[in-house]
Amino acid sequence: MIKRAMVATVTLCTALLVALPIHANSLDRFAGLSGDLKIAGGTAHIPVVKEAAKQIMTLNPNIRITIAGGGSGAGIKQVGEGLIDIGNSGRRPSDKEITSYGLSLHKWAIDGVAVVVNPSNTVTALTQGQLAQIFSGKITNWKALGGKDRGINIYTRDASSGTRSVFWKKALKKGEIAPSANFVVSNGAMKTAVANDPGAIGYMSAGFVDQRLTPVALDGVTPDAASIRNGTYKVARGLFSNTRGEAQGLSKQFIDFLLSDQGQAIVKEKGFIPVN
Amino acid sequence: MNRWGEKAIYSLSVLSCVLLFGSVAILLGYLLVKGLPALNPGLIFGSTPMVDALFLKRQVFDGIFPAMAGTLALIALAITIAVPLGLLAGIYMAEYSGRFTRSVFGFFFDLLSGIPSIVVGLFGFSAILFFHHHISESLAPCLLVSALSLAFLVLPYIVKTTQIALETVPQQTRITGLALGATRLQNIVFCLIPESLSTILGGIILAVGRCAEDTAVIMLTGAVVSAGLPDSLFKGYEALPFYIYYISSQYADQTELTQGFGACIVLLLICATLFTLAAIIQKKVRHTLLYRH
Amino acid sequence: MNRSFFQQKRDRNETAARALLFMSALVCCLLVVLILGFMVVTGLPLFGQNQAMDLLTGAWSPHNGGYGIAPMIFGTLWISFLSVVISFPMSLGCAAYICVLGPHGKATVMKRCVQMMTGIPTIIYGFVGVFLLVPLIRNTAGTGSGMCILSASLVLAVLIAPTMILFFIQSFDRVPRSWLDAVDALGGSRVQKLVYVVLPACVKGIVTGTVLSFGRALGDTLVALMIAGNAIQKPDSLLDSARTLTAHIALVSAADFESMEFKSIFLCGAVLYLITALVILGARLIERRGTHE
Repeated sequence: MIKRAMVATVTLCTALLVALPIHANSLDRFAGLSGDLKIAGGTAHIPVVKEAAKQIMTLNPNIRITIAGGGSGAGIKQVGEGLIDIGNSGRRPSDKEITSYGLSLHKWAIDGVAVVVNPSNTVTALTQGQLAQIFSGKITNWKALGGKDRGINIYTRDASSGTRSVFWKKALKKGEIAPSANFVVSNGAMKTAVANDPGAIGYMSAGFVDQRLTPVALDGVTPDAASIRNGTYKVARGLFSNTRGEAQGLSKQFIDFLLSDQGQAIVKEKGFIPVN
Repeated sequence: MNRWGEKAIYSLSVLSCVLLFGSVAILLGYLLVKGLPALNPGLIFGSTPMVDALFLKRQVFDGIFPAMAGTLALIALAITIAVPLGLLAGIYMAEYSGRFTRSVFGFFFDLLSGIPSIVVGLFGFSAILFFHHHISESLAPCLLVSALSLAFLVLPYIVKTTQIALETVPQQTRITGLALGATRLQNIVFCLIPESLSTILGGIILAVGRCAEDTAVIMLTGAVVSAGLPDSLFKGYEALPFYIYYISSQYADQTELTQGFGACIVLLLICATLFTLAAIIQKKVRHTLLYRH
Repeated sequence: MNRSFFQQKRDRNETAARALLFMSALVCCLLVVLILGFMVVTGLPLFGQNQAMDLLTGAWSPHNGGYGIAPMIFGTLWISFLSVVISFPMSLGCAAYICVLGPHGKATVMKRCVQMMTGIPTIIYGFVGVFLLVPLIRNTAGTGSGMCILSASLVLAVLIAPTMILFFIQSFDRVPRSWLDAVDALGGSRVQKLVYVVLPACVKGIVTGTVLSFGRALGDTLVALMIAGNAIQKPDSLLDSARTLTAHIALVSAADFESMEFKSIFLCGAVLYLITALVILGARLIERRGTHE
């Protein structure tokens, strides 16, 4: 009974919601709009999308944006199947995916895929060859690379991850990943795992790298904003938001907002490289 | 058996108690130490003023208020679906089933209570996918799907408690109604159920606790990272256990992690309250208080 | 004498009620069958391309078209067996202390505590496991990531212990009072009471409780998903990372629904379902044999 009463109250009060006037140019496009927007997919996108959603929903409470993770593969499939409105992916959808679902792509940020190790690790530079040998399980101790005598623990992502697919193609050159690798579910989870494990090596969105991890220089190039922007750091990708068919209504406004100055400021603040 | 053998057995049993209670105490202590600093209105309401959040004037973004509301809505829905069905099935099992049906149905209920929750979640997820393809494009994982799947999950608890509660009504009470000329049905409705109501209620509350804590089902059937307060059956929603799962893997900084510990304490408090409530109800409540006709 | 109008109405009500109750029970059972049906039907396409045995015993290498779930089956069995092996002596010791060896005054309080423990949400065990136990195991072992079979089993052991203890207590309580009094009258000690009277009388109850707890460990998703490391390999040592069937479902279900990978999780679901069914069936058989003697 009490719960029903509460649900009723919640419903009633929602009807009484009033918009708070906040003045921001790029957000004006949402004035007077209402409805739902379902977003899912790439986990690298989440911080940016969450912040954007917060700004939009604060301005206009009649818009409801739900955000879920799942990985790039899930984002592409779910938007293709029509389960969600915007599917994020940390890789370019394949041509097959684009044609079979009629996807339209919107790239709103550039991001590197950084190889990361624990800050206590003294190995901070690797060649592409060494990296491939580590991930295929041929080098198993940091000592072999000039580090401390400690076993190497590989962390990887599941097949749905766009970060994995970019890393696999561009950094491992489609090399093998050892079956003993630990699996984590997201970029955030990769950060947690590597930050807590002195023997760890993993890869993740460069935008997620902070002082809890050390990015590894690959063939002499450290992944940072400058090297990713000018293309000297090769393992980079775009962050995409995909819609089925041309983006319309709220989806279009949302993507336009991400591409506006204000949206691109969020992109930059969260550690990614704006496209505009 | 010599005295040393006896002493050894006694010490081993004390040791196992110390081990178990000790590890649970460490677990709870660790949680408290890490989470207590986060226990303040900010944890629940974020930067939104509490009054505004409670009266839904403003949405909460950095707090667990939407997740708590989502969990509450989920419990309410799942229980509303599971209780009538479970109650009826339980009454059938206790009062009407023959030897054969009892043993067959009993096996199915045991099986249902044993099926891993992730399998039930997978069922819910694939069923809604099937409906999405064949019935309506607008169907997608949502609050209702989660609630239905959770209802399946707790159904056997409710069936079982109802069955046991009815079966343990003393024989004298059972035949009094019949002797006064009541039909079997009247006897059940006016005599047996009121008599066993407190046990049944206790079982329902335990089922509520199960709904509050389950993560595996909801992560497949509609829980999302960010959605705001739940306002529709057909949308994604936030939930407290899923929030904790999300934080455990994706926390951005120390503050968020502390919030995760805080959320754990909140969830633990909710579950402990439900458990205590169940215990009190099963012990104290007299059927006359709750049942009038 | 003609049956009165009221009599007929009563009979009709009675029949209708009976039908309704039966239908409810039937619906619940059909649900159980439906879940299995869904798993099997959706998983079927896999069998078209591969031999059934390849899927159950083969390796997982999607790039080469191998969707064998053997590594996950091994992971599941390792983790659940180990957790039962750790949990069993601990639970038996605790149950013995609570029911027989310990002072009577403490028994009720301790039993209440154990009951409360069953209410601690799984996600909380996982959360604390990730931040407390995993680093501890990593530092103690000196190698590996700390995310391994051992860590997951230790957490699961604590998780299933309360349920196991309650099963054991239930069975200890069924030992006839007069047997216990007889030991007291003969001047036997508490340990002798336990070893010569209670344990022999409760073998069946203990086995059933252990089997059912094994089922509980088998079906758990969150602990393994968060702590066991999820590597897809046949584990060789306790410090190896492993993936359970349940964690596999949780990890893959977010992916591509058209792919063979996605379909393979229904096979995982079906395997889990069948193992659970065997566990329940086993427990029931043991119990039944007990009542015949």
